[in-house]
Amino acid sequence: MKDNIVIVGGGIAGMEAARQLLRMGLNPIIVEKSDHLGGHVARWHRLFPDMTPASELVGGLIEATGQANIFLNTEISFMNRLKDSYNIMLSNGVSVIAKVVLITTGFSVFDASKKEEYGYGVYDQVMTNSDLEQWFNNGNDSRIDGTEINAVGFVHCVGSRDEKARNSQCSKVCCITAVKQAIEMKQKFPDAAVYCFYMDLRMFGKKYEDFYISAQRDYGIRFIRGRVSEVSENIDGRVIVKAEDTLAGKPVKVTLDLLVLMSGMVCNRDCSSIAGMISLQTDSDGFFKSRDNISDIICSSREGIYYAGACTGPKTVPETLAEARSAALEIFSYINRA
Amino acid sequence: MRERFLTGYNDFVLPFMIGMVFILSYCIIALIRIIAQLPKEDRRRFFVSLVTPKTLVKNIKDIFCDCLLHVKIWKRNKLLGYMHSSIAFGWFMLIIVGHIEVLLYTPHRAKLFYYPIFFRYFVAETESTMKGAVLFFLMDFFLLVVLSGIVLAIVKRIRSRMFGMRRTTNPSFLDLVGLYSLWSIFPLRLLAEGFTADISGGSFLTKSLNYVFTSFLSDHANMLPSWWAYSCALGIFFCVLPFTRYMHIPSEILLIPLRNAGIRIRHARKGLAKAEVYSCPSCGLCIDACPMGVQKANIKDTTVYLNRQIRRNNETRIEEISDKCLLCGKCTAICPVGVEGDKLRIAQRSIRKYGINPDYSSISTGPLTRDSRGKVLYYSGCMTALTPSIRKAMESVLKKAGVEYELMDKDGGICCGRPMWMAGRFDQAKQMVEKNTEIIKGSGAGTLLLTCPICYKIFKERYRLDGIRVVHHTEFIDSLISEGRLKVRRDTNKYVYHDPCELGRGSGIYEQPRNVLLRAGTLVEAAKNRKESICCGGSVGSLTLGFDKRKALTENSLNNLTVASPDIIVTACPLCLNTFSRYADRKVEDIAETIDRNTSN
Amino acid sequence: MGNIFGFSISPSSTVNLDNVDFTLFDRLHELEPDAWKCMSCGSCGATCPAGNFSGMSLRKVLHNLQRGKEKEAVKMLQNCMLCGKCSIVCPRGINTRHLILSICKLYKED
Repeated sequence: MKDNIVIVGGGIAGMEAARQLLRMGLNPIIVEKSDHLGGHVARWHRLFPDMTPASELVGGLIEATGQANIFLNTEISFMNRLKDSYNIMLSNGVSVIAKVVLITTGFSVFDASKKEEYGYGVYDQVMTNSDLEQWFNNGNDSRIDGTEINAVGFVHCVGSRDEKARNSQCSKVCCITAVKQAIEMKQKFPDAAVYCFYMDLRMFGKKYEDFYISAQRDYGIRFIRGRVSEVSENIDGRVIVKAEDTLAGKPVKVTLDLLVLMSGMVCNRDCSSIAGMISLQTDSDGFFKSRDNISDIICSSREGIYYAGACTGPKTVPETLAEARSAALEIFSYINRA
Repeated sequence: MRERFLTGYNDFVLPFMIGMVFILSYCIIALIRIIAQLPKEDRRRFFVSLVTPKTLVKNIKDIFCDCLLHVKIWKRNKLLGYMHSSIAFGWFMLIIVGHIEVLLYTPHRAKLFYYPIFFRYFVAETESTMKGAVLFFLMDFFLLVVLSGIVLAIVKRIRSRMFGMRRTTNPSFLDLVGLYSLWSIFPLRLLAEGFTADISGGSFLTKSLNYVFTSFLSDHANMLPSWWAYSCALGIFFCVLPFTRYMHIPSEILLIPLRNAGIRIRHARKGLAKAEVYSCPSCGLCIDACPMGVQKANIKDTTVYLNRQIRRNNETRIEEISDKCLLCGKCTAICPVGVEGDKLRIAQRSIRKYGINPDYSSISTGPLTRDSRGKVLYYSGCMTALTPSIRKAMESVLKKAGVEYELMDKDGGICCGRPMWMAGRFDQAKQMVEKNTEIIKGSGAGTLLLTCPICYKIFKERYRLDGIRVVHHTEFIDSLISEGRLKVRRDTNKYVYHDPCELGRGSGIYEQPRNVLLRAGTLVEAAKNRKESICCGGSVGSLTLGFDKRKALTENSLNNLTVASPDIIVTACPLCLNTFSRYADRKVEDIAETIDRNTSN
Repeated sequence: MGNIFGFSISPSSTVNLDNVDFTLFDRLHELEPDAWKCMSCGSCGATCPAGNFSGMSLRKVLHNLQRGKEKEAVKMLQNCMLCGKCSIVCPRGINTRHLILSICKLYKED
């Protein structure tokens, strides 16, 4: 079929777009490199700000995209441009001529061990936001299970807004995720002191501020304005965090049983390889470059190539879903026009 | 041999004589000035060294090897070495043999400066001259040697890559004048002697040339102009010499004994610093060596240009050049004449005037001192605090080896002073040195262990810790292994070792880390290693190079390390580790981590 | 208000930005373009070894200079050891050591 639509990435953006395209009577092909659909969200426990279980969203999407052609464990091995379509070779040997390619490759989570001073992978009691969600999901993590949790700290902006980590962009969701996870930890360990070390709190979305207020008022989360710069380990394995309380203008030091690093969103490694195949532009942050950041965020500079979700930069779940829908609509009119 | 002229004089010797008198008086005045500029104790030391037989022999040997034979350049590139030694040694031999000729044939003229130079003009061959054939042959032979060197020099101007040099310096205007006059001296000499050879005699070169000339230029009138030209070329060369890079020829003869006397740079522009600056031959070897050279914009900030700007007193550029440098010391390591690019820059930094002068006298060392009698005192330093993996691994290794230790700066300490020293603020650095000395001596420890080469260098060089052993962890681990206190398992990894600047070139530690790694797995080498290893780009030596400007340097250094496709890059410096991990495509770790992984209790 | 002998009788605690003289800071900005780049995260202050003894924080030094409180800034900077930890932790990639030396060059102790 000449009017093939290939969706690269089976995360929530890819699935939502597929769902919409199916509704419009089109039959997209989803190519997913891992063995499951749902991407990062599938591994998450609950979503802010309403604490919706992530499985509900992902489950719903999987159900709705059942009729689409889905290739799991498959990558794009090769893609080139034909006259008005794209020739795509998949790693499973299938080759497709596609009229439209929708890129929904999403993001990667920053590798926290690259911020050496935080000691991820060095100290026992340091974990990341993803590790914590895993624990929420399956309740199995030696860092929490074996220890008495009296004090927990969250470090915002790990690998985001950080030129040293080669990511100067804000990851958008970590502030609110930290607030969410802090509340969840407080719910699990009501007697524990929970600290959030932040540079700026960016509570821009609907109900985020309410969430933040509730964290302060209802849960007594202690917010400290200062970026953690050094973490050391006590003889008993607890970690000592050093920061400057910039509001007081004094250095602060606190001993914690658990330190959670809010690893940010960074560009997917596939970005540059896919961009290289059909000479798409990437931005200075490594994410795909949209044709226009205001009016054409889902369009690329090439005809027939569309973007949705975090492949063009850090996005929240609702933003991703909205982009996926608008990409589907754009694709629909493109196919009918041609 | 008999003399052709009773007077033994012709006007054409004047240009040469003017040049010679000028350059000799210039050099003598410069020599006196430099020696006068040395601090008193250095001057005494210098004079004592001149009469000490051991240094005297070394001086003569070094001058012969470095100035005439250019042994260091031979080691770098054979062609480049031949080019330099053919000109220098060939010319030297021409002068020597020329003097022998004068002494043999016309001893009463020996007091005339110009006579050996223009000998062939003033004499005529007689029948009994045949015993001079050997000398004649030698003269022609060495002239040929010099001429071959000149040809190579001309080729080098056009194709420097043949000589192993990617980039060379841009000569200044006077350098070019000097260069062209130097190039023309020997062809002109050949021409002059060629014209004269049927009268004065000659050997295979000049005689044959004379046959060619007489076949179509039978007139002897061509003789004088060519001698004039030869003399003028010499005169011009000597007159511009002090203002060109060729000043390195006389300066180096002074620099070698100064260095052998153990004198250090004490002033930014005077004494030894001056001798070094003038000894720079502008060869440009430091341009290719400089790690900043990967970015074209930095080429003019290499040591050769620093020397040039110091000679021109261009303060703005001197400041720019000396502040940008990473102080990795590679230019010093490869410099054929021994200009210390890094120390020269620190000296330039030290003459800055500051309105704010830090003072640490209020810090009380008592609370920082821990009783460590009979133990190893481990000072991890500022940088290691930001790379906890090193400290954790090092502590684990110490425990496995059963070493009793105490942490000197667990709850914060005083900086070792080396970064401050590098910025040229010696008084502040010395204050820190004093404070740390108090802490270390107060602790009663017998060994001071360091995991940071930046600290190690200053602890070795500037601290007076009498009796306390100062070790870098690469040395310490090596000795623990050889004492049998650590049993290292071999794994299947391929390691490459990066020589940190301050540890390798800075402190001369190359073998111990390699010994250690050889026991842990397969060790491969980087393209450029040891003395020529390339700075990671993270150095605290540079003051003005911003973070964004360093990426290219780090990537270049990584490319150099990964030529033999190692699995893991091992270093022994927290700053290198921090810098490399940011851009590396494979695992980077400290040597302590490698050993910790490959040992068990 | 009465400004006698250079001291006001009841010093207001307000930082009056209208009266702050930015000449020196502008020169600092010329010497080191990163001078305005700080976002006051406090990383430098937290990691500073001199901060242990004196409360030194480069963030505060810069902040004080930007608010015209030169005296406080200069006094604080007298504790700096120039070790370079701040330049390693700075998320904005500010060349802190050059910034510090430039301040030391431009500003003066009393």
